Amino acid sequence: MSAGPTPEAATPRIQFAPEDDVAIRYMDRTREYYQALGFSPYRWAHFTDAPFTPLRVPLAKARVALITTAAPFQPEAGDQGPRAPYNAAAKFYQVYSAPVDSKPDLRISHVGYDRANTVPEDLDAYFPLARLQEAAAAGRIGGVGARFHGAPTNRSHRVTVEIDAPELLRRCREDGADVAVLVPS
Amino acid sequence: MSTVIMGCAKDIVEHCGVPRFVWSDFPLGNSAGRPFDVESQTRTLELALRLLETAAAPRTTVASPLRWTADAAWKHKYLDVGKLSPEDIAERRKEFEVVKAVAKAKREGT
Repeated sequence: MSAGPTPEAATPRIQFAPEDDVAIRYMDRTREYYQALGFSPYRWAHFTDAPFTPLRVPLAKARVALITTAAPFQPEAGDQGPRAPYNAAAKFYQVYSAPVDSKPDLRISHVGYDRANTVPEDLDAYFPLARLQEAAAAGRIGGVGARFHGAPTNRSHRVTVEIDAPELLRRCREDGADVAVLVPS
Repeated sequence: MSTVIMGCAKDIVEHCGVPRFVWSDFPLGNSAGRPFDVESQTRTLELALRLLETAAAPRTTVASPLRWTADAAWKHKYLDVGKLSPEDIAERRKEFEVVKAVAKAKREGT
């Protein structure tokens, strides 16, 4: 019997990632959470197909619209700071638009972001206006729309689909946008 | 109009079905990259721009290669109902009733 490595030991083993290192199943987790609290389950929007509009102008010539679910800071609406608990009073229910020429004060205390793992102290992590402006300055995109637009996080799918989405599209077109970057927070 | 979504909730966005989606495997709230990390944000936006240029069909998802942490421990902390005592649950239920009422009042007042 000779000592020394067996052929198996000489071959490096394939190292898989841990089984739990996958995309979080937010729908399951949210359902379980609210069920435990005694509430009926939320029904998420679901389509088996999706529209698709190919890019019609080169990005270097395209004007890019930015759409966010973040809310403008509302002094009267309670704690909207980075460590605020979920703040429904800070929600908004109508599409809004604001100019991009100064850094807006936008907060996300009105949505269910991951309060266990993150603190939203940096606007740029959920609202990429500064990065888009850099891309415009570098010539990567043609430009940024003169306004950004706020999309309400309304529980009513009907309002989102029939009222808010068409209004957002109308405003993007009014701004001469060719493409839109949508950033839910 | 050509669109791209930047987000963290892969299952929810794909369940909806969207034209183009850049998925960051980061805690909800960091759709545009890591906080205070310009390079991470620039790379994430570039993925979105590339996707606008290259997607061949709807429901195209690109997964950002960026990692929140080396391990996946953080993924167990979000809405972990198993860690709640019956008292916690009762407390949160009460809080959520309040939240719903506040949201309803605001919606109806808008």
